[in-house]
Amino acid sequence: MSLATDSPVNSSSSDDLAAFLDAELDSNSLGSSPEKEAEDKDEDEESIDEEAENEEARDDKDLERIKRRKTQIVETIQERPGPTLLGNLEEKTDMLYCAEVSLEMDNCPHPGSLGGMCYRCGKRLEEESGVTFSYICKGLRLGNDEIDRLRNTDMKHLLRHRKLYLILDLDHTLLNSTLLLHLTPEEDYLKSQADSLQDVSKGSLFMLAFMNMMTKLRPFVHTFLKEASEMFEMYIYTMGDRPYALEMAKLLDPSREYFNARVISRDDGTQRHQKGLDVVLGQESAVLILDDTENAWTKHRDNLILMERYHFFASSCRQFGYHCQSLSQLRSDESELEGALASVLKVLKRIHNIFFDELANDLAGRDVRQVLKMVRGEVLKGCKLVFSHVFPTKFPADTHYLWKMAEQLGATCSIELDPSVTHVVSTDARTEKSRWAAKEAKFLVDPRWIETANFLWQRQPEENFPVQQTKPEENFHAKQMKDQ
Amino acid sequence: MFFHIVLERNMQLHPRHFGRNLREHIISKLMKDVEGTCSGRHGFVVAITSVENIGKGLIRDGTGFVTFPVKYQCVVFRPFKGEILEAVVSMVNKMGFFAEAGPVQIFVSNHLIPDDMEFQSGDMPNYTTSDGSVKIQKDSEVRLKIIGTRVDATEIDKNISQSRPKWDPAGSHPSRFFCIGTIKDDFLGVINDPTTI
Ligand SMILES: [Mg+2]
Ligand SMILES: [Zn+2]
Repeated sequence: MSLATDSPVNSSSSDDLAAFLDAELDSNSLGSSPEKEAEDKDEDEESIDEEAENEEARDDKDLERIKRRKTQIVETIQERPGPTLLGNLEEKTDMLYCAEVSLEMDNCPHPGSLGGMCYRCGKRLEEESGVTFSYICKGLRLGNDEIDRLRNTDMKHLLRHRKLYLILDLDHTLLNSTLLLHLTPEEDYLKSQADSLQDVSKGSLFMLAFMNMMTKLRPFVHTFLKEASEMFEMYIYTMGDRPYALEMAKLLDPSREYFNARVISRDDGTQRHQKGLDVVLGQESAVLILDDTENAWTKHRDNLILMERYHFFASSCRQFGYHCQSLSQLRSDESELEGALASVLKVLKRIHNIFFDELANDLAGRDVRQVLKMVRGEVLKGCKLVFSHVFPTKFPADTHYLWKMAEQLGATCSIELDPSVTHVVSTDARTEKSRWAAKEAKFLVDPRWIETANFLWQRQPEENFPVQQTKPEENFHAKQMKDQ
Repeated sequence: MFFHIVLERNMQLHPRHFGRNLREHIISKLMKDVEGTCSGRHGFVVAITSVENIGKGLIRDGTGFVTFPVKYQCVVFRPFKGEILEAVVSMVNKMGFFAEAGPVQIFVSNHLIPDDMEFQSGDMPNYTTSDGSVKIQKDSEVRLKIIGTRVDATEIDKNISQSRPKWDPAGSHPSRFFCIGTIKDDFLGVINDPTTI
């Protein structure tokens, strides 16, 4: 009996297919292009007929033998008088031959695997080896030699297109997220201001109710990504989990033109609480990193451009111990054109320009870390600093992070006052050194002058960082608020 | 490769279906339960073509449900090592490309793409020959040879809509079979280029 016509519950497509198959089976045709038929396309009819004729002309015994062989291979198929096989029998004999040949190909070094099979020889690999690269595709593992090979070819390809690698952190670097639960009453107004999730390309504040979250993109981020994508192959690398990383990637890059599959989450890392370039398929000498957390990159500090943290929500300020009003509570935001992303974009452009156009040595021998160091060293070039009331007593001054930061920015640091000193960095205007600066008409600045120069990659106007009698905790948003 | 085979299955039916349409109920339930499922043994069930025999029902104590042994013919699909398939490219990256042929997902690594084809990044990543005459990108149709297979069976007892594919590395479509393929051989490669249609 034919089901296709009798069956009461049936989808139309399976109707057609069943009818088609019935007809095909009745007419005893053998040759076909199976996957085409499954999709119910009726092309190549001619060749099918031709093949069918060929098959009929074939010696019956021969046919029977091949069929039996086939049946043994598919041990699962129930033995019954002559199971009807669809498909070109001639191809099947070839196939068996090929299968044997590829099994013999066992001097394959198994460079990498997908789904437990070597992707070069197709063999099932017993033990798992190599590093997982699930973010590229689920179940992908690569051996060390293969990683090196991919890095080399990728690097050549990238340099030819005048591009370098850029690794971008999410939280506090490109955006700020909060749980809806942690919104303060003063932030309640945000819920009505959230942008549509239908077209995220223009928006900056998103309510992700299904994740119980709200996310604010950092001002300038759209322009930043667009312009950076012309100079860099970009990755997202976050300590957040994979679903979060992918949601954020959707907000930042809805048409998948910037990151594609290059979204790395903590689920992809090889070490807890650490980010590493070992899961990035790029040469370390061509990688720049933007992140607000220096400690995540202990092995790659030379690649890192440290970002000033973007705190939009009150919960984010609280989490980092700031007892001030957040940008959201003040109904304000970081400056679009003078904020962190605009400043860092200028730096990236400069580094890119030096790397490709100003260095004399062979392209393959260049190192972006050297360029980064050089550009950083220009920021406070020509400044000679003396610190006052900045380090704890008996603290070895030249190991303090501000001292080191100033030196990296190109300044000279000293503990002695002399006429060549240009700046006194102090937290208290009443100290002896501070008074000396006033008397000698030297710049007297707050330590934030160094930190801000470090974040903005630019020497800051000294008058914006006056030294006060008491430590100015409420200064936190001074710069961010300036343009409002 | 497609096979036409006979399978057997015990169908459990609720007593409310016992009546004139019993046979129809059994058959429609069978189709709903079986078509589109996949077992490692037989492959992907494309369609039931006929029911050969419905045996005597066995009444279950307590519930009143009745179990009927049903023998049916169906068309199944299973990929084999060495098989040549025509497939549509679904994703291209620097590791290689993914292609789909019905319920099969195939990965072709860049080791098994001819050496004269090079990866090009961009919003439409592709592999192209140096003279630009041959290009593999999303939606290209390719003829490839399977060199490794892996079958993730969904239990045949599950409904199609409930059976979730376990294996989907490219993250595109649910696939019941995952294979490693090659186009590095004679007569393999692009058979049509979507940009020239
Ligand atoms: Mg961060
Ligand atoms: Zn191998």
